[in-house]
Amino acid sequence: MSIQYKSIKNLTSMLQNKEISHKELINETFTLIESKMDLNAFITLNKDAAIEKATLLDSKKNDSSLAGIPIAQKDLFCTKDLRTTCGSNMLSSFIPPYSATVISNLENAGCISVGKTNMDEFAMGSSNETSFYGNVENPWGKNLVPGGSSGGSASAVSSGIVPAATGTDTGGSIRQPASLCGITGLKPTYGRISRWGMIAFASSLDQAGPMARTAEDCAILLNEMCSHDIKDTTSLNEHIPDFTKDIEQPIKGMKIGIVKEFDLSKLDSEVVKIFEESKKHYESLGAEFIEISLPNISLSVPTYYVVAPAECSSNLSRFDGVKFGKRCDDPKNLEDLYIRTRSEGFGDEVKRRILIGSYVLSAGFYDAYYKKAQQVRRLIKNDFDEAFLKVDVLMSPTTRGPAFEAGSKGSDPIQMYLEDLFTIPANLAGLPALSIPNGFVDNKPIGLQLIGNFLEESKLLQFAHNFQKTTDYHLKTPSGENI
Amino acid sequence: MDKKTVTTIAYLSRIALDEGNEDKITTDLENIIKFVDQLDNANVDGIEPLTNPLEKKAQTREDKVTAENRKDTFLDRAPKSNEDYFLVPRVVE
Repeated sequence: MSIQYKSIKNLTSMLQNKEISHKELINETFTLIESKMDLNAFITLNKDAAIEKATLLDSKKNDSSLAGIPIAQKDLFCTKDLRTTCGSNMLSSFIPPYSATVISNLENAGCISVGKTNMDEFAMGSSNETSFYGNVENPWGKNLVPGGSSGGSASAVSSGIVPAATGTDTGGSIRQPASLCGITGLKPTYGRISRWGMIAFASSLDQAGPMARTAEDCAILLNEMCSHDIKDTTSLNEHIPDFTKDIEQPIKGMKIGIVKEFDLSKLDSEVVKIFEESKKHYESLGAEFIEISLPNISLSVPTYYVVAPAECSSNLSRFDGVKFGKRCDDPKNLEDLYIRTRSEGFGDEVKRRILIGSYVLSAGFYDAYYKKAQQVRRLIKNDFDEAFLKVDVLMSPTTRGPAFEAGSKGSDPIQMYLEDLFTIPANLAGLPALSIPNGFVDNKPIGLQLIGNFLEESKLLQFAHNFQKTTDYHLKTPSGENI
Repeated sequence: MDKKTVTTIAYLSRIALDEGNEDKITTDLENIIKFVDQLDNANVDGIEPLTNPLEKKAQTREDKVTAENRKDTFLDRAPKSNEDYFLVPRVVE
C-alpha cells in the first residue's frame, strides 16, 4: 500500500494495525524522496539513523504519540551530529553538537527525522530562491516557487513524501509556503515553542511551527512541539492544552473579523472570489462576520523591514569564522578573516538585510528608524488587542496570489517583501495564525489565513478543522487524484 | 543614502561589497529606506517602544553548571583550533 499523501493519523493506524512495519514505512519514505529529487526539497538526508530508529521501533513496542512517523526538519533547527546549513554557504559544513529543543521534543515523541529541508538562506526570502543549495520546485507546477522561507518543508509535505514537516515563521515563512503549496501551516503564539537551537534570524519575531496536510495533524504535532524551556528566556511558562481536544466543537455563533484596511481590490479577481466563497462557507457553518478596523496595519511591512534587519544584523554578527562554520582561506589578519569569511559565506539577500540593520541601528538613525518602528509595533499590537475584544478570529487571504514563477519578481527586493503583506502583522504582535487551503487559481492552490488571540491556537485549529471537515481543498494533490 | 554611507555601513558590518555591484546595492538600500520612511506617517508621541510581544521580563535561572564539559567536541568542530583554543591570525607581535 502506498504511503504517499497519508496523514499522521492514517500512518499511525497503519503501523498499529501492522499493515506496515516501521522499517518498511521509512524505506518507502526514502524511495519517495529519491523519486522526487528534482524538487530539491532536501539539503541533507538522515537515512542510516532513520532506518536504525525504525528497526528499533519494530523490535520494541513504543506507545509514544508519534512513534515511527517520518518527519522532515527545516534546516534551520540544529540537529545533533547531522549537518545543519540554514540554507547558507556559511554553514555548509556545520555539524551541531546538540539538537534544538523542538527537535528533541518531536524525536522523544517517537518521530523519525528523515532529513533537513531546503530553505531561503537564514530564512530570508519568500520564494526559496535565496538558498545557497538552489531553488525548490513547487510540486504544483514546473518552475513555480514553493514560497519561503520554509519552501523545502512545504514542497516535501505537498508532494506527499512526508505527512509533516517543521517550519519557522518570522514574517510568514510557514503560512506563505503553506498557501502556495496547498497545505496547512501554523505559526503559534510567540514563545509557545522553544527557540533554543533554532538558528536566530529576528529573535523577537521568530517562532517554530508545524506544517502538515490537515489542521488535525498540526494539532497532533503542536502537542509535542510545545514545552516550557528554561534555556530560552522568552519561552512561555503557560498551560499547554491538548490542542486536539476541542477541534470537533462546532463554531456556530462564533465571530470572525474582516480587516477593513486589507485592501482586496488590488488582488486578482479570482483570489477575491475564492476568499468570498470561504466567507460564505463559514457563514453556512454558523459563524458571524464583523468588520474590524486595524488603523495602523498598513505600516506592518515597513515596521517589519526595520525590526527584522536590525535584529538580523545583530544575530548574524556571530558568524565570524572563528568558532564554527565557514572560514576564509589564508586570512592576512583578524579583520581580513572577519570580512572575507562573511563576504564569501553570505548571499546577496542576507548581506542586504545586514546592511539595512546596521544602518537603522547606527548612531544618529536609531531613534528615527529602530525606536520609531518599535513604537509603531506597539500601535499595531494595540489595534489587535482592541479587535479581539469583539471577535474570536480574524480572517484574510494568506497571500496576494498563488505561486509565481521563479525569477518573476525581478530584482527589486521590495516586490518580494510585499509578498508577506497579510502575514507579517501576526509576527509583529506575537499572535498565532494559520493558513489552510481554500481554493485554486489556474490549478494552483491558495490559502486562507486565520489569526487568533494570544495563546488561542486551539480556537484557530477548531476553525480550521471545521472548514476541512466540510471542504476538500486540502485533499487535492498535485498529481491530480483526491486523497 | 549614498555610496559613502553604504561603504561605511558595509565596514561596520564587516562585509566587503562586490566591486561593480556597489551602485545596485546603493539603489536597493535607498529604495528600502524610502519604503520604510512611511513610518513617518504614524503619530507615535508618548508611545512606549515594543521590543518583544510578550512584554515579560526575561526569565533567569540559577547560575549553576548543567552541561557536561564538551570542550573537545567544540574545538574539534571549529574551523581552526589546537587542543585548548580557537585559533585566529596573530594580533599581537
